Amino acid sequence: MNKHSEAGRRYMRRFIPTMIGYVAAIFGTSFAFRNPDLAGPVAWALAIAPALPVIGVIVIMGLYVKEETDEFQRRVLVESMLWAIGLTLSATTVAGFLEMYLHTPPLQSFWAFPIFCLTMGLSQLFVRRRYR
Amino acid sequence: MKNRLKVLRAERDWSQADLADRLEVSRQTINALETGKYDPSLPLAFKIARLFGQSIETIFDDGQA
Repeated sequence: MNKHSEAGRRYMRRFIPTMIGYVAAIFGTSFAFRNPDLAGPVAWALAIAPALPVIGVIVIMGLYVKEETDEFQRRVLVESMLWAIGLTLSATTVAGFLEMYLHTPPLQSFWAFPIFCLTMGLSQLFVRRRYR
Repeated sequence: MKNRLKVLRAERDWSQADLADRLEVSRQTINALETGKYDPSLPLAFKIARLFGQSIETIFDDGQA
């Protein structure tokens, strides 16, 4: 992310409140599910609540790519995203087969996005170095 | 692609940051352009050409001429 561009600043202005919402949703949902009787549509809505800010962050990332006017910064980010998609799909595929044949502990699918973010961050370091 | 950006910038005594400001891009973008590792889009190439008052062909060399 290019912190100095207008698009970068806008990204941060959207990202920070969304992440605060995410933390609040996690705490709220965890607290609500202490009640063993929680069921039905309310349980479904509460279980999905933490996913909504995560989906929001995905949209915010997309908006940044669309709004960033520095084409080189956009290129670096898109290349890093492609690396991250490849690495995330590879990691989850390997994990899936390990679970199937070796019965390793299952990787919960919500980890896909954090893995994507981590691999994107690491990829950016390498992608940036290539252009230096 | 080879280019004369560094020379043109030096002639005007501009830093990479000065050129970045004038083109409304980041300093990293100027660096990637100068080293020839990143080729600009046509709109950015036009912007560069206008800023230096020269044609795109005199600034960038695709090795085909």
